[in-house]
Amino acid sequence: MNSALAAVLLVLLGGILFTLPMLPALIELRLKRDAQPLDVVQQYAGEIRHFSFGFRSYITNLLEPLRECVSSGTTAQGIMPDGDQYLLLGCADDMHFVTAGEISATCQSVVAAGMDVVLPNGITFAKEVYAAGEFTGGEKSMFRALLGEKDIHLKPSSTVIRWAHAVGAFRAERDCDLYGRISSDCEIQLESGCAFQRLNAPRIVLGRLDAEETTVSTETVPTTLPDGRRLVDEDLEIQAGEIVSANIVTRGRLHIGAGAQMLGSVKSHQHMTLEAGVNVEGSLISASTMRIGPDCRITGPVIAERGITIESGTRCGSVQVPTTVSAPTIEIEDGVTVFGTIWARTEGQVVPRG
Amino acid sequence: MMLYALFAIVILISIYTARHYLFTLNRLFGFQRHPYIDIDTASWPPVTILVAAHNEEKVVAHILSALMGVNYPKDKMLVVPVNDRSTDRTREIIDHFCEDYPGRIRPFHRTGGKGGKAAALKDAMELVKTEVILIFDADYIPGSGLIKQLVAPFFDPEVGGVMGRVVPLNVGTNLLTRLLDLERSGGYQVDQQARMNLRLVPQHGGTVAGVRLSALREIGGWNDDTLTEDTDLTFRLLLAGWKTVYQNRSECYEEVPETWQVRIKQIMRWAKGHNQALAAFGLKILFGKHRATLRERIDGFWLLGVYAMAPLTMIAWVLALGLFYEGVAPLQGVIALLAFTAYAATGNFAAFFEIAAAVRLDNTRQRVCLLPFLVLGFVVSIFSVSRACADQLMAPITGAQFHWDKTERFRTTP
Repeated sequence: MNSALAAVLLVLLGGILFTLPMLPALIELRLKRDAQPLDVVQQYAGEIRHFSFGFRSYITNLLEPLRECVSSGTTAQGIMPDGDQYLLLGCADDMHFVTAGEISATCQSVVAAGMDVVLPNGITFAKEVYAAGEFTGGEKSMFRALLGEKDIHLKPSSTVIRWAHAVGAFRAERDCDLYGRISSDCEIQLESGCAFQRLNAPRIVLGRLDAEETTVSTETVPTTLPDGRRLVDEDLEIQAGEIVSANIVTRGRLHIGAGAQMLGSVKSHQHMTLEAGVNVEGSLISASTMRIGPDCRITGPVIAERGITIESGTRCGSVQVPTTVSAPTIEIEDGVTVFGTIWARTEGQVVPRG
Repeated sequence: MMLYALFAIVILISIYTARHYLFTLNRLFGFQRHPYIDIDTASWPPVTILVAAHNEEKVVAHILSALMGVNYPKDKMLVVPVNDRSTDRTREIIDHFCEDYPGRIRPFHRTGGKGGKAAALKDAMELVKTEVILIFDADYIPGSGLIKQLVAPFFDPEVGGVMGRVVPLNVGTNLLTRLLDLERSGGYQVDQQARMNLRLVPQHGGTVAGVRLSALREIGGWNDDTLTEDTDLTFRLLLAGWKTVYQNRSECYEEVPETWQVRIKQIMRWAKGHNQALAAFGLKILFGKHRATLRERIDGFWLLGVYAMAPLTMIAWVLALGLFYEGVAPLQGVIALLAFTAYAATGNFAAFFEIAAAVRLDNTRQRVCLLPFLVLGFVVSIFSVSRACADQLMAPITGAQFHWDKTERFRTTP
């Protein structure tokens, strides 16, 4: 091979090796296969009822035939435009879900009940369920998703996989597993042993309340964020009964003694403990974990980056001032009330009083 | 001497590279902090939204329209378009919106005074009565839930500033917009979020952002002597013991420059402003008596130095070349290290692995193919930033005054 040819080949080879990695780039630049802006959701604002609203639109065309089924006391079946089967219940009849002798069954259809309905035990609903009247699920049942135009009542050991929304009250008896979003326009009640992730209602009752706690709070609280703050670089102890009128930020642990009144917001970088009867007018923030003792009153958001334990008799927010309680793990004792949202990213649990 | 200088620069660049690797690995495998994003129910505080607008007739209607549609309580939200000496139809458009939404928009028309966004915001503070202030540039388009997301961190009494994520809208226009889209992904999805995760110093970006009024007053208000009021604000808040937090899921569309001239002007202004902050806070953040933690001091210092790395990288290449012809050996290892690391340490230029990780986290696939073209952006950045630094160093001799260059808009659709 002469040297000229070798040089040409070298340049050619070099050119190919240089161009090769650029080929995908050139193709993408030319074809613009992925040149759309990132999908920033402009309208969906984190609304917990997003999926239930979507489902209600999805079944709009079934509502008229459902009313006809109710008036004639019959049932009907069919196929939705997307290919899913549906079952319209115009009368209470367990035989659509279980046959004699069966102790469990799976329903593969979207179910719409036009009247009050009480379902048998042990059924798995692989598709969404709609109830125009009062809805009562059977024990050990599993629901993909539930929309109730009135109250929803789940019997013990039931499971919701994705979401449930009740226009009336939502009640889950002991040991239910409520994954995803559970919401109500009135009230949510969860009994001891229930697990949850995201709950939203004007009033959320965990476990059973003492008699005096069942009255609805009517106090109003100013909505301005307080000015002024006290920065502490180490552990801090607020004495029992002390009244603190500034925002508090501590880089260590924070211990608030029984009956203390915190008129601003409170933050700790490490573990925070509130003893019994503490009143916090602002928010409670912990960069670690937090334990809220019995009978506390918290007005603002309650946020912990690791986990929260809330003891019996505590109330977060009020009817007029709803709030959010959020942490990766949340453990709430029987007898706690939250007005607004509880959001446990990993898992929340209602536990018996300690 | 030349050899020691080269070693010193390569060590600095290597530290930046290690820092970028740390951020990328943290973002891919570490614990992700989004502590305030779940606050969806609260007694929302009153908020004032400042919209900085200087000759923004092409875009200002879009942001005002978007803000009128957000899901924040209407009686607790006041929009203040800060019309800074506009000579186009900006004033007319703003006044038209005021008529359409009485009581919800209160314009601040500025006809004179010092130039620049910080000066305009400073003057507009006379209209601000609320503890929470949000700031947008006029080319941004906030989504429905964004205002609540940006306000939520202020329930934390330690938070003085909030920053959301900037997402380019005009991605597909040309090669530049596509490269800027990649850079923004790396810068926000990985760099800012990693600094949030690691409790370092997320940077206030001055738009899609918020500041607490009492914190702003405590640090002396807006500084109108700086070209980047956002970097200045970040460090003054930090020194006073206030945190700036980053909300990666609080995303907002923006318009990125579509021509290289506009991009070069933009990055030169950022570089000059950032270097101003380096001169003002560099030593103070490291050694001063203030409330920043040790990790914030270290990260803050490196953050301040990012734009100084471009001229240092160029100097390193010149030194390496000189030493090579001087016959100083063995230099191969140092040059290889320089070649490997230089790419990760220029301006706010995210390293290629950081961008690749960001693209993966954003769940987009094909755009990562454009990574090789980032070399072009790298070259433009390194020369632009170096020129900006040289201008700054020469300013005392030449007597040149810093002036604020507005970023040109390109939007044409209504």
